[in-house]
Amino acid sequence: MDIKRVTLLGNKDHGKSTLIGSLLIATKSATKQRIDEAKKVSMKLGRDFEPGFILDSFEEEREGGLTIDTTRAQITYRDAAFEFIDVPGHEELIGNMISGASYGDFAVLMVSAKGGEGVTEQTRRHLVLAKLLGIRRVVVAVNKMDMVAYKKERFEAIVESVQEFCMNVGFEPGSVVFVPVSAYNADNLVKRSMHIRWYRGKPLMELIYEAASARKKGNRGLRLLFQGTIKSGRKTLYTGKIVNGRLRRGQRILVMPLGKNAVVSSLYVKGKEIGSASEGNNVALEMPGTHATRGCIGFEPESNPRCGTVFEAMVFSVGRIPKKVQLRMNGSEFMADVSVFGEIDLKSGKIKEANSIKPLGTGKAKIRLSRSVVIESAAECPEMGRFLLYDSGKFAGIGVIG
Amino acid sequence: MIMQNISELEEKSAYIIRETKEKFENVAALWSGGKDSTAMIMIARRAFLGKVPFPVIHIDNGIDFPETYKFRDDLAKKWNLNLIVAKSRIKPELSGFSCCGSNKTDALKEVMKEHGFDALIVSIRRDEHGIRAKERYFSPRDTEFKWNYKDQPAELWNNYSSKMDTKGHVRVHPILDWNEIDIWQYTLKMKVPVNPLYYSSNGYRYRSLGCTHCTVPVKSNARSVKQIMDELKVTETEERAGREQDKEKAYVMEKLRALGYM
Repeated sequence: MDIKRVTLLGNKDHGKSTLIGSLLIATKSATKQRIDEAKKVSMKLGRDFEPGFILDSFEEEREGGLTIDTTRAQITYRDAAFEFIDVPGHEELIGNMISGASYGDFAVLMVSAKGGEGVTEQTRRHLVLAKLLGIRRVVVAVNKMDMVAYKKERFEAIVESVQEFCMNVGFEPGSVVFVPVSAYNADNLVKRSMHIRWYRGKPLMELIYEAASARKKGNRGLRLLFQGTIKSGRKTLYTGKIVNGRLRRGQRILVMPLGKNAVVSSLYVKGKEIGSASEGNNVALEMPGTHATRGCIGFEPESNPRCGTVFEAMVFSVGRIPKKVQLRMNGSEFMADVSVFGEIDLKSGKIKEANSIKPLGTGKAKIRLSRSVVIESAAECPEMGRFLLYDSGKFAGIGVIG
Repeated sequence: MIMQNISELEEKSAYIIRETKEKFENVAALWSGGKDSTAMIMIARRAFLGKVPFPVIHIDNGIDFPETYKFRDDLAKKWNLNLIVAKSRIKPELSGFSCCGSNKTDALKEVMKEHGFDALIVSIRRDEHGIRAKERYFSPRDTEFKWNYKDQPAELWNNYSSKMDTKGHVRVHPILDWNEIDIWQYTLKMKVPVNPLYYSSNGYRYRSLGCTHCTVPVKSNARSVKQIMDELKVTETEERAGREQDKEKAYVMEKLRALGYM
């Protein structure tokens, strides 16, 4: 069964872990033993049963009532399997949040309807990050409806506020949908709730199912990331991963940024010599006469990849990004100069002029590298135009070309 | 329990194992003779065209099952593995938490130091335990082997930690995404040799293998991999239910792992 990955976003305490716990129970996806253990711990801590404890298993997480690191839970619904990736909603744990969110194809955003909670700066920051991480569809679960007497007006106010922000950030119309829920009471999670009769739409799991079934778009040309070499007997073979397209034995490929043509004379996948390999395969191959190194990329010869040292990118900053940073992309490391020229205003979602990005902010920057690299926007080929930034070895941010 | 696409899982694991060999100078893997680390070695054999390119370490506390020793020696020979046996000294007064914490972890520390390994491949899986679900594929450990779970490195877009990121070593978890049933699916498809303790004898089988002191079998009539998979599809218990050290007190796994346990 193929597993569809669902990233769960939202402010701390807006109910992400509770939602996954409730879904695990409602879809019968957790073992009795795991549920019983969560019940026992809830009782020990002197509180009502907290479904989130099925997920949050660190002592600190349970006693403090927060998620510290990303967790995954697998849920079956209809004919599909979903892996929910729970990420911490706390600002200071954003590195963990990004690691979790980067695996998702689409996201579920939790927004609490409870008085005093609602759409927060962290909610909007997560939406900006989702866009940057390549998430194209968002299902917004407006949670804790039970605490506002299931009022339609409260739901609609949140819909309007999130909708407007999403358009400004650049989500396509129709790619963001909304459902009122109570994760704790399992209202509108798997079945339509009797408490929310004014809502005529589908329950959350159905919306997730639809979002997951939408087809990916993208180009189909070959992108082979060279990883290194391995030895087999007296032969040395190149290793690499095909992130897009197909590769055949005997095929001529263009190795960039070397700018050299080479013929793939033998091709191996999972230990066996084969005639052709495709997206997702880790290959070993012989390619006489060309010396490809880690970070090189193989294309079809007729394609015309752009190489250079300067490009524009959207950048998320964990702290302050200095002018000089290390940039890691496709397995290679570069020195980079970063000059910021815009920042996303977290109130509106629009870009305004700026020469620096605030901590936990996102902005536009011109980046100059120490040596030439293939420049392809993440929108054209998601696997290509994405990078991580480090400041003296410490994680400082992420970015996408374009 | 959800069965995933093992072909995709193997690709991801193969990438991680190759990445480990590329980025580190002195790699080793833990091999217990159990189903998970044996499947991992099979993946490595295929990724490296037949030859496992790193030594495999068996932490031997002297009280493993006789079947495990035989399985280990036979397979090491058959697959031409570079086997390192790290003997730990069992202290009879210890059991459970203190036993795993001191014996297994100490023996591991010694063998890592002796050989100067900078990366250690460990075949843990997310679905085994809530705490293991929080792991990264590449997880730096300090010189004391401690795991700082709050400050784990960002890991995305095929960019992983390298040895520059720690003064200690990096734990590598290539089969983190696999479920228990996926391991059996792969074992069946690839004809990976199976430690006979996993099969039912007198109505019981071992679902998870530790040493003789702390591992108890579960009720089962499964006498083949196929039958094991059929049982797992409907099980209501957790895989490590037969591992005594997990149950002594709450959060024992979190504490063991913080000390350097697998």
